[in-house]
Amino acid sequence: MHAVVSLVLAFLVLPTLVVVPASLNHASFIQIPPTMLSGRWYREFFADPEWLASLGSSLKVAALATSLSLVLGTTAALGLERLHGAWRTLLSGLFLAPLVVPAIVLAVALYYVARPLGLAGTTAGLALGHTLMCLPYVIVNVGVSLRTLDASLERAAAGLGASPWRIFRTVTLPCIAPGLAGGAVFAAITSFDELIISIFLAGVRTQTLPVKLWETIRVEFTPVVAVAASVIIAVSLFGFAVQRLRSRRIFRTRAEANAVA
Amino acid sequence: MPSLSFRDLHKRFGATTAVRPTTLDVAAGEFLTLLGPSGSGKSTLLSLAAGHLAPTSGRILIGARDVTDLPPRLRNIGMVFQDYALFPNLNVFENVAYGLRARHCAAADIARRASAALAAVQLEGYGRRAILELSGGQRQRVALARALVIEPDVLLLDEPLGALDRQLRRQVQLEIRRLHRKFGHTTVFVTHDQEEALVLSDRIAIMRDGQIEQVGTAETLYETPINTFVAGFLGDSNLIEGTVRAIVRDTAELAVADLGAALFGAAGTGVAVGRRAALLVRPEFIRLDEGLAPGLPGTVEEVVYLGDVAAIKSRLSSGAEIWCRRPAGLGRPAGTQVSIGWAGGAGRVLAVAADTREAPR
Repeated sequence: MHAVVSLVLAFLVLPTLVVVPASLNHASFIQIPPTMLSGRWYREFFADPEWLASLGSSLKVAALATSLSLVLGTTAALGLERLHGAWRTLLSGLFLAPLVVPAIVLAVALYYVARPLGLAGTTAGLALGHTLMCLPYVIVNVGVSLRTLDASLERAAAGLGASPWRIFRTVTLPCIAPGLAGGAVFAAITSFDELIISIFLAGVRTQTLPVKLWETIRVEFTPVVAVAASVIIAVSLFGFAVQRLRSRRIFRTRAEANAVA
Repeated sequence: MPSLSFRDLHKRFGATTAVRPTTLDVAAGEFLTLLGPSGSGKSTLLSLAAGHLAPTSGRILIGARDVTDLPPRLRNIGMVFQDYALFPNLNVFENVAYGLRARHCAAADIARRASAALAAVQLEGYGRRAILELSGGQRQRVALARALVIEPDVLLLDEPLGALDRQLRRQVQLEIRRLHRKFGHTTVFVTHDQEEALVLSDRIAIMRDGQIEQVGTAETLYETPINTFVAGFLGDSNLIEGTVRAIVRDTAELAVADLGAALFGAAGTGVAVGRRAALLVRPEFIRLDEGLAPGLPGTVEEVVYLGDVAAIKSRLSSGAEIWCRRPAGLGRPAGTQVSIGWAGGAGRVLAVAADTREAPR
């Protein structure tokens, strides 16, 4: 039993992690297992303005797409929560469609829309395209925390004289903060390692890290590519760790609350 | 303190009627309890008053002010919820200060009034505690302070003791009573617990199926209930059902199958010859005698020891159960043949409330 589980885990994780030792090898070509450990290719990566620019571009696009999808996704989730019946099913289906529609179809469609608007090749265009991919994660996460929000809290606030905006600011928002945080992490990771839409929408100066990686590997098989891949893994893992830690903390406070009640 | 009035207040949800057209006046400074089983419409009535639900028709007045179309935040009503509804992200002080901040009071004013409110519910020094650190009873008192600090015109309490254990319920009951005596708010209290209603209320309105069956002081409801439902819901009652054979002056004669004797009692409202009715005798008027004393023959079926007293259930030949209480040592063992009687004037003949499916003992 343990052997089977180990094999499955190895099958799932090893191909991904193989780039990490590859990135640490001294040789000038990708070689596994590494013959001699060295940080040579990391120095190369962080000294190359092109790689750094693509990393910067990725972070910028991820930040923009995350912020935008947080605002839009939260308002969408609030709206969906107030709907009932067929409208709710229809609209939530539409909002979650980017999860189902093949990315390549979206990419082509976005390219056709972005070009005449002058958005192709711009950071704004990329961020908007990524927002589409990120929205479902925010809507789902915020939706879940809205459903656990006690409706009598908002009633109590209204009874105490609070305006709708004050209620949202002081009661709703703090209560759905965990959902927002979860949605933000998923959105950021999604945008950071998004490739297909980015290939279509990125320009020369707005090339994101995955696009730069993709184009480099088609020309030369340098270990810097392995470094770039390791950087993407590191950023994603960091985001995931933040999310896990947060949800564990929230889980603990809830458990304490229940112990008192 | 202004009064609170419902004028023909009516609430339907689609095809179901939650509150039938209801008119009720809660006098200024009065403590009125809506008492009824779950689903009787008492919480709906409260939500209508608070403005969380819009009525299908009818008006709500606070004093002379028609608040029917006002949103909750403009009604100046203090409300306490069964599940506390305290803001988990704010500490005790900020919870109490919430209504004052929403009213844009000055900082010094907020500090003074919130502290005074916390002192009024005996929670001085708890301001910086997190809600999660408080016990259930303390949370309920924070909720009370939060509702009182805004100096509401009307105070609405929606089963505020429902989530507390028995011991704590007693304490918070007395706390609510003390606060009402001190501040004299016009108060509507919702509960399904008759003991709470008796301890707290100036008047009690008994609700069933979306309407008020009877409103009055505890004494009125206990001594002259309008029908068997009210009799069953407030206080313990013995009800013997039969058919009204005659009404002479104010006394009705009730024929009961398999009893072998006619029963007499003061006729209540709606009692008519030929109709079903029930004789109500409160347990404290029941006499149990052994041997050949005058009365109806019966058998003791169960003796329940309750500490200071024992509750005794006996059965008449008609099948009706008769409960009474005796000092614990003087109970009669199960199986004893007894003669059951009551003082003349203790019985009342009541209209049988249609469909008494939920009338508890």
